[in-house]
Amino acid sequence: MRLQHDLHTLTGSYALDALPPDELDEYERHLTRCGSCAAEVRGLRETAGRLALAVAEPAPAPMRARVMAAAERTRQLPPLTGESHAQGARSLRSIRSERQARRGHRIHRGPAVWIPRISVAVAAAAVAVASVFGVQQHDAQQRLADAENQLTAARTHNQQLDTVLAGGDLHLVSNKTSLGGSVSAIVSPSQAKLVVVTSGLPALPAGKVYELWLLGKSVAVPSGLLTAAAHGRTIPVVASGLVKGYSLGITVEPAGGTLKPTTNPILAMPLSA
Amino acid sequence: MRQQPQPDPGPSEGRDQSLEGLLARVARGDHAAFEAVYDELSAPVFGLIKKVLRDPAQSEEVAQEVLLEVWRTASRFDASRGGAVSWVLTMAHRRAVDRVRAETSAAQREQKFAPDPVTGPDDVAEAVEANLDAQRVRRCLGGLTELQREAVQLAYYRGYTYPQVAKLLDVALGTIKTRIRDGLIRMRDCMEVSW
Repeated sequence: MRLQHDLHTLTGSYALDALPPDELDEYERHLTRCGSCAAEVRGLRETAGRLALAVAEPAPAPMRARVMAAAERTRQLPPLTGESHAQGARSLRSIRSERQARRGHRIHRGPAVWIPRISVAVAAAAVAVASVFGVQQHDAQQRLADAENQLTAARTHNQQLDTVLAGGDLHLVSNKTSLGGSVSAIVSPSQAKLVVVTSGLPALPAGKVYELWLLGKSVAVPSGLLTAAAHGRTIPVVASGLVKGYSLGITVEPAGGTLKPTTNPILAMPLSA
Repeated sequence: MRQQPQPDPGPSEGRDQSLEGLLARVARGDHAAFEAVYDELSAPVFGLIKKVLRDPAQSEEVAQEVLLEVWRTASRFDASRGGAVSWVLTMAHRRAVDRVRAETSAAQREQKFAPDPVTGPDDVAEAVEANLDAQRVRRCLGGLTELQREAVQLAYYRGYTYPQVAKLLDVALGTIKTRIRDGLIRMRDCMEVSW
């Protein structure tokens, strides 16, 4: 058992984002119980901000127009209102029907040249995404105690998905894994992001998880874990930091994932169009 | 003085040009307010990210993501939990650090950056000459013990975790936690006085 005063001295490290990933959860739980720690963290973050102001450097000029253009086509998160579970469930339902309503629209956005090739595939992937969320909604209604957290997470996740799926330059790649089942990636090169959906991956023994990687020539960037949903699918994962030429890899890792692959990939799929 | 219809107008009345006021307008979808926020914060966001990541192209990409995130999540900014500058720069630092930790293992980073000596106060001054913020920070950093200063700078500007900092400086984990906290508290007190 860690001593309280020991945890308290971590305010500084936490304010500088210097806690190792495996200590972060425990410390953030501690912060919810320790008002004085949370207050100290707030003050120290302000101080850290001053350290940032000291290294300010003008951003490259063309970045401004790019950010403004991206803002034009990015939907904003609604404010948190502390609405009840029932209202949360309604919101998720409406988010989902919005997505379904927009699906056709989205498909026709990109350059005309790829529409015939890609529209069917993207529509199929969008259906896969929507069906997973349908399942999540059902689960949430059954487990009211967890509903609020789940819905907030799902909504945040939804927003991320929407942002990626609203891109005009989407393409889809799919392949089978060596363990069976198929993996599809909806790739947005302009946003350097992709959405990964799967179908029919075999269930893993307890303590194991499928981990996603973006694979470059000499790097493997951990890019998320697959969480099982119903009907043999997994919850869509948004991975960012895609670099041209990277492939998508999947390995089986100990629960919680690892920073480097420790087993041979069951999939290594190029992500270029 | 502008006539107010109500005796006690809230802070959002009128054109609040503080960053907090601008963020409230951004949350309502105001693009002009977002441009003002961008002009105010893009330099510290980009500078901080570049300080941590070093690679200019990658820094630009991450800075862009962060600034777009400000647009997207402005409605979640809660002024009662800290200032707007701190909110945005915390986001920027986290993104930069996440990128560092995701992309290279600690070993690779140490190898890559090992020849580069630990940053001293001059490192800050070099980055932005004649910058008032930098001068104050430099002066306050100068008031720390050497160990406090090195620990704070390695953690914040390099994106190292405290165990990595402890290893680099060859001190015990417990010591480094305390030094980082004491150093930051001393910085805070120094800057509160002079800010």
